[in-house]
Amino acid sequence: MEEMLAIFIASTLRLAMPLMLAASGELVSERAGVLNLSLEGMMLTAAFFGALGSWASGNPYLGVACAILASVVVSAVQAWLSVNLRANQLVVGIGFNILALGATTLLYRIIFGGLSREEIPGLPKLAVKGLSDLPFAGTAFFQQSVIVYVGLALIVLIWAMLNHTSFGLSVRAVGDEPRSADKAGIPVAATRWKAVLITGFMAGFAGAFISIADIHTFTENMTNGAGYLALAAVIFGGWNIGRTVAACLLFGAATALQFQLPAMGINVPTAFLLMLPYLLALLAVAGVVGRLEPPTSLTLPFQRGK
Amino acid sequence: MTSSTGSLLSLENLGKRFGSLQALEGVSLDVRPGSVQCLLGENGAGKSTLCNLIFGVYEPTVGSMTFDGAAWAPESPAVALERGIAMVHQHFSLVPRMTVVENLMLGQVKGVLKRHEFGARIRDIAESFGFTLDPDSVVGELSVGERQRAEIVKCLMRDPKLLVLDEPTAVLPPGEIGALLDICRRVADSGRAVILVTHKLAEIAKVADRVAVLRTGRLVADESMQDADMGELVHAMVGRELKPLDVALADDGEAPAASRPLVTPPKLALVCDGLTVHDRHGAVRLDNFTLEIKPGEIVGLAGVEGNGQSELGMVLAGLLRPTEGHFFIGGNDLTHAGAAAVTAAGGGIVPEDRHAVACVTAMSVAENMFLNKLDRFTRFGLLQRRTLNAAAQMQMREFDVRAASPEVAFSGLSGGNQQKAVLARELTLDPLVALVAAQPTRGLDVSAVEAVYRQIRAAARRGVGVLLISSELDELIAVADRITVLYRGRLVGERPAEMSERGAIGALMSGQVA
Amino acid sequence: MTALAFSLPDRRRLLGMAVPFIAVIGSMIVGLLLIAASGKDVPDAIEAFMDGAFGSAFAIGASINRAVALSLVGLGFILAFRANLTNVGGEGQIAVGGIAATALGLWPPIANLPLGLAVIVPLLGGTLAGAFWGGIAGFMKVRFGTNEVISTLLLGFVALLLVYWCVQSTALLRQPQTSSATLPESLPIADAVKLPGLTGNSESPLHIGLVICLLLAIATAIVLQRSTFGLRLRAIGLNELAVRRAGMPGGILLVVALAIAGAFGGLAGAIMLQGEQYYLKTGFSSGYGFDGLVVGLLSRGSTVGVLAGALFFGFLRSGGISMEIMAQVPAALTLVIQGLIVIAVAGSVILVEKLQGGR
Repeated sequence: MEEMLAIFIASTLRLAMPLMLAASGELVSERAGVLNLSLEGMMLTAAFFGALGSWASGNPYLGVACAILASVVVSAVQAWLSVNLRANQLVVGIGFNILALGATTLLYRIIFGGLSREEIPGLPKLAVKGLSDLPFAGTAFFQQSVIVYVGLALIVLIWAMLNHTSFGLSVRAVGDEPRSADKAGIPVAATRWKAVLITGFMAGFAGAFISIADIHTFTENMTNGAGYLALAAVIFGGWNIGRTVAACLLFGAATALQFQLPAMGINVPTAFLLMLPYLLALLAVAGVVGRLEPPTSLTLPFQRGK
Repeated sequence: MTSSTGSLLSLENLGKRFGSLQALEGVSLDVRPGSVQCLLGENGAGKSTLCNLIFGVYEPTVGSMTFDGAAWAPESPAVALERGIAMVHQHFSLVPRMTVVENLMLGQVKGVLKRHEFGARIRDIAESFGFTLDPDSVVGELSVGERQRAEIVKCLMRDPKLLVLDEPTAVLPPGEIGALLDICRRVADSGRAVILVTHKLAEIAKVADRVAVLRTGRLVADESMQDADMGELVHAMVGRELKPLDVALADDGEAPAASRPLVTPPKLALVCDGLTVHDRHGAVRLDNFTLEIKPGEIVGLAGVEGNGQSELGMVLAGLLRPTEGHFFIGGNDLTHAGAAAVTAAGGGIVPEDRHAVACVTAMSVAENMFLNKLDRFTRFGLLQRRTLNAAAQMQMREFDVRAASPEVAFSGLSGGNQQKAVLARELTLDPLVALVAAQPTRGLDVSAVEAVYRQIRAAARRGVGVLLISSELDELIAVADRITVLYRGRLVGERPAEMSERGAIGALMSGQVA
Repeated sequence: MTALAFSLPDRRRLLGMAVPFIAVIGSMIVGLLLIAASGKDVPDAIEAFMDGAFGSAFAIGASINRAVALSLVGLGFILAFRANLTNVGGEGQIAVGGIAATALGLWPPIANLPLGLAVIVPLLGGTLAGAFWGGIAGFMKVRFGTNEVISTLLLGFVALLLVYWCVQSTALLRQPQTSSATLPESLPIADAVKLPGLTGNSESPLHIGLVICLLLAIATAIVLQRSTFGLRLRAIGLNELAVRRAGMPGGILLVVALAIAGAFGGLAGAIMLQGEQYYLKTGFSSGYGFDGLVVGLLSRGSTVGVLAGALFFGFLRSGGISMEIMAQVPAALTLVIQGLIVIAVAGSVILVEKLQGGR
């Protein structure tokens, strides 16, 4: 039983990690008023280029850097289209997801050929001295790849940034009332740009986690909807970072349960567990579980004087 | 009228033109430090334009300003702020989901937020002007008055020499106005100058040192409060020149109201019974409004804007549910029935905000004129455009709506023609029992105004009960049979629609209970 | 002077139509460059593409069948878009349509119905299921003010997982599990439930879905351009308050608009199932919902535009698959082209407006 619990916690964390990274990044952008449906595409791009960089250089850390760089480039184009060109954010997002799926698959086939499952150099697991030996939860919590610790630190940093710095204040203001922010002298476009780039950075981390830290290879469409799940987590988390992270853990747990419950002899349809995150997010946007309000100007481009 | 040595801000022959519209003309005014200067005027009189010139939003077309001893030509609001002019706009620029302290720190601080320190400063400033403000409350949960105080503190934190408040009382429920005026007084007493823009007369008596009145872009009065007479101010503000037109219109050869041959359906046309509207913050916007209108009667509802007319209009249009009370059209209770039922019961509505409520500007004139009667032109689900356009053409002739064709976009019409088209649509309802027209002649030229009056009167002669909501006293006197007055959401009196009653009605409008 | 004044509106329309064209051609060029860059033989690849798209009766039929599904989703999209509603849930609407059609098609009393009813009832079932799915989003919008983009997207994922659920559980639609190797799929539907072919040529998979689609396209064009309902959709998309004031039931209109969009998606799902796939499996909607949305967007509200775009993407998909098999160029290339087109068109909206309004 204890062993099962440990496995459950470990797999929950493993499954929730990329969601947490991507969702907390996306949260910044959404608080600034830009919705990146392209989160999935950013993550997939990052997963691919992370794997590629790691494989080509033999150095997983370089791989992570490549992942982040690739994802940030995608987010820069997204920012340019959403902020400067005032394009429909949803359509652009869908376009990026199609493009990312096509491009990564294409490049993968061209570079790695066929269906090779070549192992790439992955990140080592780092045990926290003393704590990793703790009974049953020790390995789950304190023997993780470096990226997990860095990622968790980044999430805390985002929380602090959003709630305790002037930049965070600007982000929230341009997402709610860009006109008021503009009057207060906040550069709306620049603030939104930075927020989207932060999303790209975090999505890059998330993608790198999947390919370099977790699976140690790239497979076609390997994010498999994790980006959308992260978006759902932001919605279910009510655009609040603590609740968003909790939502990611919940979604991770629901996914982990599909392997655990049968082993425990409990018969819950896997599909239902997988569906749960989306159902919860639906209930959340319908206001059934407490009224959640998205940032007032989410997806609305800003133009002075209009 | 020339600038005197003691003034902080002086305006010299200031004028502003937007395209063909002369928004301001020949305005000269002196504002002294330590004083409250009130600026009175109706909607569109040029008050906001004047403020925006002072605050650097626009540049004047002609004239000059001096501020604090030097020539004043700010190129942007940022410069004005820098140099010591702060402005509280009619529409607050606060982010509702952030706290007061966060809003006030926005754009003012860099790096890590020190909420406590900043909050203490906010408290201090508020206290020094005799009010309290909780820096940690979320703006969206504050009353309008509290939000306004937050805006005022935001301005005062910059230690301005001149504080401009654009229509600050327009948004306030009656109970909060007194507190605001006290703050204005204290700000002036601290040696600053205050410009208070308003169209509510009663309040200014309490606080103003000087009062200036703008009408159609010109300064028509500028005097010290001690010399001012309330009745004259109302007159200066709302009284159009007594054109013979109005008098002629008032009696265009038809029998007077009393002896009109009523079609006399047994029921009252429109009954409002205790209508009460609370806004989101619980403030009372319309207070126990009760009124009966007989078929064939035109009842005017006078009042300075912002005293509950908009809310009443929305309720009667079926677009806003009253908190309490009921209303009936032709005896049908339509309180909770919605807009479609109002139309079906014979309630014609000419809304105050034409573009937002009355029409779809991107669609054609014909489509707009029959927006509520499209079924009539539908065969097997298909719209009979030819029939529709022909019918529109006829109605355009009848109601003198001038457009190249019924198929041109509604947005291409002039304001007058748009209004005539909306009126045509509502007046051709079958049956038509009651007509509610809110500010129906606003922004229209003289001939269009005349046409609108003629149509409203014709409808009344056919037995329609009309509620005419207007802030133009002369209009009401010219058209209505009797005039009721709305003040702070309540009916405060009723007078016959006669020229000799203007003074009394003006007094009621300004809150002096007759 | 007058000549210029008259030519202006035409120039604007031309500009509006030019953008998708430029985007398509530009993206195709990028595609060709990618083929060249990957070291594959470009003429070979083009030949394989043409072969797969137009090379045989089979190729043409398969491409058109694909276009039918895309058109239907696209038509539903532009109908709802007329009311300013963006339906991004086509994928899920296809999925529930497919589920309904499978469930009804596998039910013997229906499969044994005479007079073609065995075909028609599952089609209608799929349509209704899609309408219900779209209607949920409409209801949420009217009742709770939920943005339809978020709700249709989330409902889409739920529907995809419903398919997964249906084919995983023998209690639902999974075929009887005779061994551990039994695939998680439904049983195939009976021949009576399959859509009849159109050509009589056994080579060609072309089925009557094409006829249904064309009829619905004509109906859509009429509804959008000629009907009172279409006018009401337009009005509510432009000014909801004025529409309510004029006595139209605004909320119902919005629900109906999204339900119709869903119905088109559901019908597309039923046609895909009864016309080609014949049994339900996970991922059976295979991106047609998103592609259909793209087709709808590129069409700029025109029915003919939807048909043209759908044909283009239908042939693109077929050609892409053939390219992969015959010239070893990954079919993912077509996704790259598609993604680039969507981004280019979406990004150029403001640019076009500026040029159109340009003095």
